[in-house]
Amino acid sequence: MAAMSSRCAASSSSSAFLGAPLPGGRHHQGSCGFVAAGGGAKTTVRVAAALDTEATAKAGKSSSRARRARKDGGEPGGSSSTALLAPTHPDGGGGGGVALDDVIVNPVGLGRRSRQIFDEVWRKFSRLGQMSTVASPEQEEQEGVLFRGGGPMCDFAVPGAQDTTVLVVGATSRIGRIVVRKLMLRGYNVKALVRRNDQEVIDMLPRSVDIVVGDVGDASSVQAAVSGCNKVIYCATARSTITGDLNRVDNQGVRNVTKAFQDYYNQLAQSRAGKSSKSKLSIAKFKSAKSLQGWEVNQGSYFQDIYPSRFDEGTDASFEISENGQAVFSGFVFTRGGYVEVSKRLSLPLGSTLDRYDGLLLSVGGNGRSYVIILETGPLADTSQSKKYFARMNTKVGFCRVRVPFSDFRPVNPQDPPLDPFLVHTLTIRFEPKKQRPGDSSQGASDPRNFQLIMEFIKALPTGQETDIVLVSCTGSGIEPNRREQVLKAKKAGEDALRRSGLGYTIVCPGPLQEEPGGQRALIFDQGNRISQGISCADVADICVKALHDSTARNKSFDVCYEHVSKQGDELYELVAHLPDKANNYLAPALSVLEKNT
Amino acid sequence: MASSTSLAALPSQLASPARRAALSRSATARPRHHHHPLLREPPKGCRLVVTCNAQTAVPTSIAQGTPVRPTSILVVGATGTLGRQVVRRALDEGYDVRCLVRPRPAPADFLRDWGATVVNADLSKPETIPATLVGIHTVIDCATGRPEEPIRTVDWEGKVALIQCAKAMGIQKYVFYSIHNCDKHPEVPLMEIKHCTEKFIQDAGLDYLIIRLCGFMQGLIGQYAVPILEEKSVWGTDAPTRIAYMDTQDVARLTFIAMRNEKASKKLLTFAGPRAWTTQEVITLCERLAGQDANVTTVPVAVLRFTRQLTRFFQWTNDVADRLAFSEVLSSDTIFSVPMNDTYQLLGVDSKDILTLEKYLQDYFTNILKKLKDLKAQSKQTDIFF
Repeated sequence: MAAMSSRCAASSSSSAFLGAPLPGGRHHQGSCGFVAAGGGAKTTVRVAAALDTEATAKAGKSSSRARRARKDGGEPGGSSSTALLAPTHPDGGGGGGVALDDVIVNPVGLGRRSRQIFDEVWRKFSRLGQMSTVASPEQEEQEGVLFRGGGPMCDFAVPGAQDTTVLVVGATSRIGRIVVRKLMLRGYNVKALVRRNDQEVIDMLPRSVDIVVGDVGDASSVQAAVSGCNKVIYCATARSTITGDLNRVDNQGVRNVTKAFQDYYNQLAQSRAGKSSKSKLSIAKFKSAKSLQGWEVNQGSYFQDIYPSRFDEGTDASFEISENGQAVFSGFVFTRGGYVEVSKRLSLPLGSTLDRYDGLLLSVGGNGRSYVIILETGPLADTSQSKKYFARMNTKVGFCRVRVPFSDFRPVNPQDPPLDPFLVHTLTIRFEPKKQRPGDSSQGASDPRNFQLIMEFIKALPTGQETDIVLVSCTGSGIEPNRREQVLKAKKAGEDALRRSGLGYTIVCPGPLQEEPGGQRALIFDQGNRISQGISCADVADICVKALHDSTARNKSFDVCYEHVSKQGDELYELVAHLPDKANNYLAPALSVLEKNT
Repeated sequence: MASSTSLAALPSQLASPARRAALSRSATARPRHHHHPLLREPPKGCRLVVTCNAQTAVPTSIAQGTPVRPTSILVVGATGTLGRQVVRRALDEGYDVRCLVRPRPAPADFLRDWGATVVNADLSKPETIPATLVGIHTVIDCATGRPEEPIRTVDWEGKVALIQCAKAMGIQKYVFYSIHNCDKHPEVPLMEIKHCTEKFIQDAGLDYLIIRLCGFMQGLIGQYAVPILEEKSVWGTDAPTRIAYMDTQDVARLTFIAMRNEKASKKLLTFAGPRAWTTQEVITLCERLAGQDANVTTVPVAVLRFTRQLTRFFQWTNDVADRLAFSEVLSSDTIFSVPMNDTYQLLGVDSKDILTLEKYLQDYFTNILKKLKDLKAQSKQTDIFF
């Protein structure tokens, strides 16, 4: 019978092996049986044959297997998990010698291959009758590419996530941990800034996160952390209410991060001899007398009658450099309905136009007055065709930076189209007493018709598609009242620093945090300090992650909390059923109704 | 018949005092990888008084235990096809996930890469289980034994130990995955064991959620899609059984929706895919999507059954026989599926959100065709010609 002869051939050839050393495979007269191994047991296997070899396998199992194991050093066969069946040599061709004069054959390899083939055949066969299957390692690898970490077939895939590095500041906080996990699931590269590198922290974070040790209050460690990152999610907050801590984390930390981010991008831009897309464009810098060139002081009146009334006590204004080298625009306006302004025709560097910018940033020192900024657009040649747009700017006592987005500008003539920054040619700053609010944080009881404006610089803020920094702030409703003031003050300072930095920002202020799984309840997004409910950490983390690539999230600050579910029978309105669909893209529609640049 | 004897024949080691000592020792020993924020209490002596006995365990006294966060989950069988999707979904929804894996020389790294905590234990060694349940609110059980191991150790004895531990330690939700129609096939050992486990859970008094599954789409990839692409032979049966395959990611998503739904508590749900397919239909679909014909070897179901009978003869192939027992189901059941409308309504899920097999395979082929070309080019073995 074929089975018998094959067994004999097997044992004889294996004994031949044990005798003769193999210098790499030459003419093996006796080991002919391996020849047919390759072709025989391949694809067109008849099931009966499989059963036959199986029977012989059981019979001759232990002996040949032991020898094989010793020979190969216990090498595992193929990818099968069925260790029961022996590696047989399905050489149905029978004994006899076929001379292998011309071909170099490696019997060890052949034997291994034939065992692999047999194992595979058996695996396929037995799989038919099984309920659950265990994937082989190669298959796991292939599937892993597709299903794991943001691969194309995974539920959480975000396009472009593989190329984005996100820095998570506060990765050990409640929200931070969930943010890190969500980012890893979507395939982002994550860097985490932590204060201590000890075992507890390492265990808390997933292993492929890049850990950077440092403190947010320390500019150099922040610099090291930010380099290489495209986006930042800032969830750190002070763990105590010591004012020093609050300032360090919520105020100074945010400043450090924004500054480091801008510096990093400037550095990158320099190395390619270009300009960073995130840096501000300098429109005017008031350093010396030369910088005052081009600025004209004008005065005018809103009232059309030209007869000076007898109450007119005069108007005077000047724009000059004071003794300490500061550019001061000061004067008084006693005329009713009068105004003074200082204006300049813009001369931007070659190649830049204001349409790539989102707004203006002015660094000024006022004494609490409010001013109007007017932009004139229109064809340069024909100034009679220009349209004017104005926006109000409030100053505080002392130096401050004021951010005036282009979206705030309204046309003087209501029929005009909205402001197109590309066409702007003249910038004017105007002071008019009639619009001053009474008690407008002026010094003491000084006359609101005086003004003094110290100008430092005027810059334009760059525009962009996506947000750069997501900051998690708080509404204050979860903090005890006696500490609330301090905490809110520090947080507001941090937020303002972020808004004025020129980067795309998203400021999320959640209600009191709860430890619940996310995705369960409907969320309310609001911009008015009206929220009262709490929200789970996981939902806040989800919002942070979704905001990274959402163009509706750029330059917005908002509060978020759970929807208030009133008791049964108490409902004043019908609750709209919130069925989260698979993709769960709730953020874009929710944020598109909110006001930008807040 | 099988259920009563199985329940009575519980391993007596559960009642032994030695085990109790093991419990207290493990509660205080506190293995090193437990340094995470869930455990705030330092291990000062045994604060958990636990009794396990052969009947359904009733906690005699639970003195102050470790505080339990409602977001802490233990996933058993986290390295499996379903387990890993459950872990991913749990991590995304903000749970703190602990995974129970067997100690391995080369441990599964991807779980820690995703941010889950990994603890070592073995269901076949019940004394390793209680330490893993400390501070856990919910247990999700996706584990099953490997094909080369005997079924009873992991799937019955191990599960019984796990359930009793969970009950004794006050686990507040237990999620168990079972097989559709497991009550109708007592001759298939795995189905019989799953059915007995279901009854055990229901009698134990835990807040449970039992989910019966029909089949996974992920398994079809290795069985049909890959051989077709690699131009190897595809093995199929001619059984007329239709199985409703479902994407494991959808299973995981629906599990979490059901877990949080109070109406689904203490319920037995069945999840079936949108459409039931026979093997031949799946192969035809793969051929169509891959753009090439498959080299199909059809194995008659009778042959499978014969092999099963044969392997039952020999002691050492009994496990193989158990695994092949599904061939009995293949020959008897014609449709392995249930209508899902009620379930979708209970959970508040839109049926359009569930992935169909056509879409799944289409995505797979579109993506893998590029990747496989590279892999193939690298790993092509030279055939031996004579």
